[in-house]
Amino acid sequence: MSVAELEFRDAVRDALDEELARDESVVFFGEDVGKPGGVFAVTGGLQERHGDRRVFDTPISELAIAGAAFGAAITGLRPVIEIMFGDFLFLAMDSLANQAAKYWFISEEQASVPLVVRSAVGAGGRFGAIHSQTPVPWFQGIPGLKIVAPSTPRDAKALLKGAIRDDNPVLFLEHKRLYSVKGEPGSSDEVAPLGRAAIVRPGSDLTLVTAMKGVHDALAAAEELATEGIDVEVIDLRTLRPLDRDTVLESVRRTNRLLVVEEGPRTGGWAGGILADVAEDGLEYLDDVWRLTTADAPIPYSPPLEDAFLPSAERIVTSVRKHLNSTPVNSTA
Amino acid sequence: MSVASPIAVSMPRLSDSMEEGTIVRWLKPAGDSVAAGEPIVEIETDKATMEYEAEAAGVLEIVAEEGTTVALGEPIARIVPVGASETPPPPEPRPSSAPPARPRATPIARRLAAEHGIDLAAVSGSGRRGHIVKADVEALAPNGSEATPPSPTPTPTPPPTPTRARRHELTRIQQRIASRMAESRATVPDFEVEVEIDMDDCMGLREELAAHADPAPSINDMVVKACALALTRHPRANGSYRDGGFELHDEVNVGFAVAAPDALLVPVIRDANRKSVAEIARESRALALRAREGKIAPPELSGATFTVSNLGMYGITRFTAVINPPQAAILAVGAVRAKPVVCDGALAIGRTMSATLASDHRILYGADAAAFLGEVRDRLESPIGLLV
Repeated sequence: MSVAELEFRDAVRDALDEELARDESVVFFGEDVGKPGGVFAVTGGLQERHGDRRVFDTPISELAIAGAAFGAAITGLRPVIEIMFGDFLFLAMDSLANQAAKYWFISEEQASVPLVVRSAVGAGGRFGAIHSQTPVPWFQGIPGLKIVAPSTPRDAKALLKGAIRDDNPVLFLEHKRLYSVKGEPGSSDEVAPLGRAAIVRPGSDLTLVTAMKGVHDALAAAEELATEGIDVEVIDLRTLRPLDRDTVLESVRRTNRLLVVEEGPRTGGWAGGILADVAEDGLEYLDDVWRLTTADAPIPYSPPLEDAFLPSAERIVTSVRKHLNSTPVNSTA
Repeated sequence: MSVASPIAVSMPRLSDSMEEGTIVRWLKPAGDSVAAGEPIVEIETDKATMEYEAEAAGVLEIVAEEGTTVALGEPIARIVPVGASETPPPPEPRPSSAPPARPRATPIARRLAAEHGIDLAAVSGSGRRGHIVKADVEALAPNGSEATPPSPTPTPTPPPTPTRARRHELTRIQQRIASRMAESRATVPDFEVEVEIDMDDCMGLREELAAHADPAPSINDMVVKACALALTRHPRANGSYRDGGFELHDEVNVGFAVAAPDALLVPVIRDANRKSVAEIARESRALALRAREGKIAPPELSGATFTVSNLGMYGITRFTAVINPPQAAILAVGAVRAKPVVCDGALAIGRTMSATLASDHRILYGADAAAFLGEVRDRLESPIGLLV
């Protein structure tokens, strides 16, 4: 008899629910998060349980939401806000990049900004070019801002709790294609530290580094490649800033090969940054390094084009075969 | 077309011990006209980096690219003489005269090949685009290769590389130092004798000389001079054990160790026994400066028959040095220090310096070494003799 599995969206809601219950200074607001329960059905019931003074809907203004959250955070509350689509984070940029991320430093580490920004990112849902982006690099270059990007329900819950308890701003990214994923729940009071990657599948031939939905693609690809004798180690970064470079480097020292899979444009992406880190600190261990990203183009709306555009288990398998000079095992058919 | 046949430029012998040289920089691009006597290339030998000049006029064709190491006598370039014809020779398309391509290999394959002494040119690559990868080198390595266990427990391989260590390839000079020092320790049966030298009179003389000589001779210059004079009377200390015989040198050439950036160089004062202390001072200053600036020429670093190594300027009281084969001995000199001494049965404050002689017992035996070192001490304790 197995423990009931936890759905990703429920994991997020449970983390919010439990933190709202645990700490009165936690508040949660955004567009359609209160009464409607969120456009991805993540936050239903929270307003009923915690009241409309702590969980409430806002006008459609990302800058107003983020500005209010910054003000609340520096005056004693621990706000969690939702920016419905990651594509709209750009509208909140000034509050996040110039105000929230800098305050700790320009106050000489006297005033912290305990603020969490939840946002749904990722493509594959036929949402088109301006509702499908994963704009990590826009935020990864901002010192003072942490970026969390979970891949499993258990991590989503434990990391969101860790983010809410962090005393400075955290961007918490939820991949839309993961909301309905189910997985083992973990213990209810688990709180994960930010900034640590996890080796989710050990292997000896190749280190495959990725995050969010990419982890599921990587694990599926690893299963397929195992039938050809290629033993892939999969690392789930879990946090994209700060990046756990040590775990990646330690793995590459053993496998001598590195593939980074990023759902985002190749130019300016975080995959390139990881390749650069590894080349700088581990060049003498390398047989091969490369990355699999999207093309430098907006995400297509056409379903066949969108599928072809994104990294997938199939594209990972093909790419690894090419780099390791492996050929697929012939099926009996 | 009246173009004469090209003249091959091969790796020149720029020092008496060099076996190969590294092309540091081409001073003229391929296809340029060069004049006879014009410097065309910088070459790093086991001793120094030097310019090398074109032996004939013509158009330069480069064979060995920058960074490559070429054995003595192997071609590094060609010079195509230009005839009297008014039509200039068509420049050779550069790729066709390119050197044999560097084998395509990944960084770890290169590292492992170097560690196992495997020539990558003899390895066929199984990786992408024909790259030689780790597995290709491991297949040829004598006993497997660096352990990469799938388990997270590290295997206790003999040299446990710290995880944060960085590897630096040796320069040619560092390679030379490493092999010479290892050769010395492995093949020379060495032993040490040590004396404490009363330097009071030397210090006094030096102060007096300061008024008369520019630069003022240093203690080290006096040690060099004292050694040179003593060497003339102890030929085996100025000799070499070589191929089962003694070679006793007519010249007394005293080398002195100089710490240069990333290297240890030993410039040589030739005929030091026939030079005045002031001349030795001038020469050693100039040589040390050139050594530190990397501008010293190989002839200035070769031919020593004896070496003095002085760490007194670091406050080192005594140490032993490694003999530089085929020399018979090396003198390690410490700092001049004020300390209590017994003088005429009473305690006094003296200034003394330790000198430790490491000798090759195949040519310089215990009593010989002691006699030689005793004479060095006597000459430094009565330094007026250094001036005549």
